[in-house]
Parts: sequence; structure tokens; C-alpha cells
Amino acid sequence: MSRKPKQIAIYGKGGIGKSTTTSNISAALAEAGYKVMQFGCDPKADSTTTLRGGEYIPSVLDLLAEKRRVDAREAVFKGFAGIYCVEAGGPAPGVGCAGRGIITAVELLKQQRVFEDLDLDFVIYDVLGDVVCGGFAVPVREGIAEHVFTVSSADFMAIYAANNLFRGIEKFSNSGGALLGGIIANSINTDFQREIIEDFAAKTSTPIVQFVPRSLTVTQAELSGKTTIEAAPQSEQADVYRALARHIAGHEQSKVPTPLSQTELRDWSASWAEHIVQMERAERARAVA
Amino acid sequence: MNVLTPIAAVPSASFIAPPGPIEQVRYACALGALTSVIAIEGAIPITHCGPGCASKQFHALSGISGYQGGEFHVPSTNIGNKEVIFGGADRLDELIASTLKIMEAELYVVQSGCIPGLVGDDVDNVVRSYQRRGVPIVFAETLGYRGNNFTGHETVVKAILEQYVAKQPAAPKRAGLVNVWSLLPYQNPFWRGDLTEIRRLLEGIGLEVNILFGPASAGLAEWRAVPSAEFNLVLSPWLGLSTARDLEAAYGQPTLHIPALPVGARQTAAFLRAVGDHAGIARSKVDTFVAAEERTYYRYLRDFAHFYSGCTSQYRLPSEVNVVADSAYALAVSKFLVGDLGLNPGVIVVTENPPDSERDGIVAAFRDLAPGIDGEPLFETDGHRAHAVIRAHDRIGELPIVFGSTWEANIAAEIGAPLVEVSYPVTDEVVLNRAYVGYRGALQLIERTYTTVVRQSTEENPEAAAS
Repeated sequence: MSRKPKQIAIYGKGGIGKSTTTSNISAALAEAGYKVMQFGCDPKADSTTTLRGGEYIPSVLDLLAEKRRVDAREAVFKGFAGIYCVEAGGPAPGVGCAGRGIITAVELLKQQRVFEDLDLDFVIYDVLGDVVCGGFAVPVREGIAEHVFTVSSADFMAIYAANNLFRGIEKFSNSGGALLGGIIANSINTDFQREIIEDFAAKTSTPIVQFVPRSLTVTQAELSGKTTIEAAPQSEQADVYRALARHIAGHEQSKVPTPLSQTELRDWSASWAEHIVQMERAERARAVA
Repeated sequence: MNVLTPIAAVPSASFIAPPGPIEQVRYACALGALTSVIAIEGAIPITHCGPGCASKQFHALSGISGYQGGEFHVPSTNIGNKEVIFGGADRLDELIASTLKIMEAELYVVQSGCIPGLVGDDVDNVVRSYQRRGVPIVFAETLGYRGNNFTGHETVVKAILEQYVAKQPAAPKRAGLVNVWSLLPYQNPFWRGDLTEIRRLLEGIGLEVNILFGPASAGLAEWRAVPSAEFNLVLSPWLGLSTARDLEAAYGQPTLHIPALPVGARQTAAFLRAVGDHAGIARSKVDTFVAAEERTYYRYLRDFAHFYSGCTSQYRLPSEVNVVADSAYALAVSKFLVGDLGLNPGVIVVTENPPDSERDGIVAAFRDLAPGIDGEPLFETDGHRAHAVIRAHDRIGELPIVFGSTWEANIAAEIGAPLVEVSYPVTDEVVLNRAYVGYRGALQLIERTYTTVVRQSTEENPEAAAS
């Protein structure tokens, strides 16, 4: 009998380092001996490139564009340390419905029992961040992923996206949807950035599972088409990702998030903006003196 | 070229879907306006929608509306999951190209349904590329969720006028030519006969008529002549008003709006005089035609009076008229039954969910059904609620009759009323060219009404009827 894999969805605003983080988590889990699938849920279909030496793979929807009946296994490719890489894919920019594409791709793999047949320990969905429509919420609902983590920097727009995601999770939470595991705080290098994200986490009673500093090692690894785990296994940054992966592997209890309302969020960011302005003024005054 | 107008497919009057579910639906979705295209000889629709949408809309509007039938040869993209995800514009392009190869038409009307609307297919652009090549083709955005077949009809008409008619070579105005915007084809089971009678009446007073839809129309030749008309006649409570406003702006054609379709001599004479005055036709000419028509009409009515005044003890002649129909027929039937035959107005339900902006005008048209007697129309799309109102209505001392759809069979039986089917859906009548408007139509309406009354009385009380 096949086991039920642990299914995790990772959301975050575009460009925040979501795919980088996800791929490093997958790599660290695989390195630790787990059987992992990484499922990219973004029409750009570039979630798994650093697991495949910088190479793009054909997506589930590429197959669907060619023929009506698709064997979903044809869209599964092996990457670093035996990680199964899948990209949902989607339409060209400006046409069709990307959300419906994500739904179709996830359904196809589910219907054809690909997860069970591969006898996986983990399926990690890397999902485009803003949950703009029902399609992008699909890993959260219908009992697909059990735990959701959000990658966020201290940037306000990233926090808005995280808060939107919390609202999405809250909506589906009483109908068997996934629950919130916590925030992965990315690109946090200063105390100040740390304070902002910690404050948001406190306001929404959300745990921060890991602080990931911005690091040149990551950039270098990405440029060589690899994850940090693969390119710089001895680096400090690789250990940060390993710690994050251990946390996620051991994570059992997620909860219903408590997002801020639109007004609360606006007031919260305004108060921080005020704070930043004052600090900069003080800084400048010091420099002049 | 007459005018240059952008492709604008949004009906001017805004449609608001009724809240919650509807029991016993009485109209179709905006895509159902493909029946309006089918009603124009020489035009064919090309539908860009999911499988089944086009055929269901057509059969709903032609089959269960008096078994009208019609030429349903409609190419459709039948889009599915693949087109939803990747967009269906290419599929439509392919379909149009194939259609042009194998189907001959004077005009192709591309209609998009819900899916392309939701997904955001650039249908406009696909259709424009054919227009640039000189193909007579237009695009009407009849998204199902954006309106019903009434507003869809306005969208189709607007598309044809702006993208086809406006591109015809400019022609001078023709004195005495009128465009008629009246009943909604197919929705009203009697539209073919009625439009034929309206044409006959208007020609009778010396007008030349673009009736535009149905067997009495010359098809697209009439549409091409729309800009040449002297004026637009909107003969319905609200449908066609937005079209007339557009034409007024584009061609400077004045609008004559007469909300009630005329039924019977009294109203038809008033109608013809109003139209005649508007068109500057000599009163004597109108009166000559009216007199000739009335001579025939009143002979029949005189003879009918033997029955109408003489058999009240034998048959249960109704005294109170209840109507459940869309506004055009609700008004026409009420005016005739109350104003000419002397019945009292009962419950009058208007079913087509007209745009909010038009409702005051509809209510106003129900004033003075007979001098000093107003009808009070109730706007209700839901059959259950409409019937509840009819059931609760106080009718002590009245014998009710119901003019409605097949949906009214049970409530009519419940209140002991004969039912004359006049509104959508109609499944107990087979309708070909029967008309209920004008002089000839009124006589047919009387025939149908009192045949129904006599039959019901006979069935309920066979002995009394035989005595």
C-alpha cells in the first residue's frame, strides 16, 4: 500500500525568492533521503530549473496543448538527488485562463494517482503568490496540500500578498482546506527588516519558521543553474535551508490564520512608514552633525 | 460610408440578474439572441461558446415557444478545457475560415458566450481581421451572464447596425420609409404573424416598411435601407428604444414610441392615426384605410356580439383578466381585454426582467387601459411568486381568465380560470402565422379566447352546455 505523501504549498509574491527557497527545501529534503516531488504552479514554468541544471522541462499543459488525452507521467522529470520535477505551465501571457490551467494540471496528476504511484514522502507546490483567482487557490483547497507556508520579505507589497494568502486560507479552512504553517522570512539582513516582519507575524499570530538572509552564494548558485544545496553544500546558507527543511519535515500542526483587514493592514503599514521616515531623518541629522 | 462607429456591444440599458434562483424561467440568456439572427433572412450566426449552448438556446426559444422551428444551421466553436486554458481565439478564427468556405450568407454574426467572456478571448480582433478583408461579418458580445435574450437582441441589433449597415454606401432618405422595432422574435410565439399584420397596416396607410425580421421581411435588403428611413417606430414598451436612440444619433432619424401593440379597431385606428400624423400622411388617407378595415372588423364583431351578449348563462364568460407575460404582450392583451371587451383588470405580471431604467415607462403605459381604469403591472420573473400573487388576489364576484404561458396551467386550474397561452414558454399551441395584433389579429385573439372559454365550460358542465 502506498503512503500518503505530506503535501506542502509555498506561496509568495512574484520575485520574492519563492522558487529559490522551494527548490532548496526540496534539495535539502532529498539530500536527507526523502522522496520529493516539486510541483511548480506558475504559468512561467520555471520553478524547477535549478533542480535541473538550469534546464526547462515541458509542462503538463504543454502536453495538453498537443493532445486531448495526456499521460501525466510524461510531465514528470527527475532532477537533483532524484527529485521529481513537474511544472503545471500555462497559456501565453494575455490569453486564456492560467488559473484554470493550474486546476487542470493538479487534477490530472491527482486523477492519475501519480503521487501515490511514485511512493513520495513530500509533494511541494510552488505557487504564484497573489491568489488572484480560484485557480491559484487550488493547492489550498480540496484537500491537496495540508500545510501552507508563505515566503515574504520585509517589503510591504510582499506582506500584502502574504496577508491576501492568509485570507484565502481562512476562507477554505472550514471546508477541509489547508492550514497555515508559518512565514519563511526571506532576504532579511537588517534588524529593522526583522522587526517589520516580526511585527506582522505577531499581529497575525503567525509563527516565523525561519529567517533566510540575502546571500551572494544563492545568486551564484542560481546563475550556475543550481540550488545552494547542490552548488555550495558546505556554505552557511545551505545550512539555513537544511534547518528550514528539517522544520518543515517535522511540522505537524498548522492553524487557521488570522489575517489583518484591509484597513488594519493599511494602518499598520502607514505606522511603519512613519517610523521609517523618522529614522531616516535622525540618520541624516547624525550624518550632518 | 454613412457613419463610423466603434464596435460597442454593450446594451445601453443595463441588465441586472434577478437575485437568487428562478422557478419556471421565462426567457433565455443573451446568447439566445442567435434566434434574432436566424430571424433575418440571409444572416447566419457563428457562435463562440461551449458545446450545447447554441442548440439549447435555439431549441428553448423555438421549440417550447409554439413549436416554431426554423433554420438552425449554426457553426459553433464548441470550446472546452483546452480553449479555456490557452484561449479560444485561434479556434474561432479557424471556424470562421471554414464557415466562409462552406456556408453562404449575406451576413455572418459572430456571437460569443460565457466562456470567451470569462477567459477574455479577443474576439473583436479576430472578427476585425475578416472585416478588413471585406467579409460581411459582425461581432456581438452576447455573454450569457451579461443579460437575457432581450438585452442580447439589442446587442445583436447594435452590432449589425454599427458594423454592417453603417458600412453600406450612403443612400438618400426615402420619404415614407419607416423602420419598425417591435416584438422579440421567437420569444413571442406570434411574432411572425404579428409583424406581418403590422407591416400590412403600415403599408395600408401608405408607408414603406422595414419590418426587419421574419417571413414578412425582405431580409438584409431592409437592414441596408435602415439609414434611409424617415423615422423609427418603436412599437413595444421598451425593447428597441436604445436602438432607436442610437439611430437618432447616427442618422438624425426621429423616434416615434408607441408602447402598446394595437389590438382591435379602437387601438389600431388610434395607432395608425398617430403614425400617420408623425409621418405627415393626410388624415383622409389614413381614415380611408381605417374605414375599410373597420367595415370588415365590425361585421365580425357584430356577429360575435350574439355570442358575447347572449350566452352568459350557458358559458361562464370571464369578467377579470389576469396576465403573465413579457411587457409587450401583457400590455397589448390587457388593453384589448379591458378597453375593448370590458373585462376588469386582475393581476398583471411582467416577466422579462426589463432594465430598471425602463420600468417607470412600462408602468406608465398601463395607465388608462380603459378610460379611468389603470392596470398595475407587477415585475416578477419567478413563477412561484407570480402564482402566489394570483392565488391571493381577491376576486369575489369575478370569473377570472388567465393569459399566460404553459407554466400557468396549474394556477389557472386552481382559480377555475381558462388559460390562453400567449407568452413564453408555450407548449400547448402550435403556432405558424397566427397574429393577435391589429384588426385581423384581434379577431383571432377573440376566437382563441372564447374557444378556450367554451371548451372549459363544456368540459366542466357537459349537460348545461348541451341544453
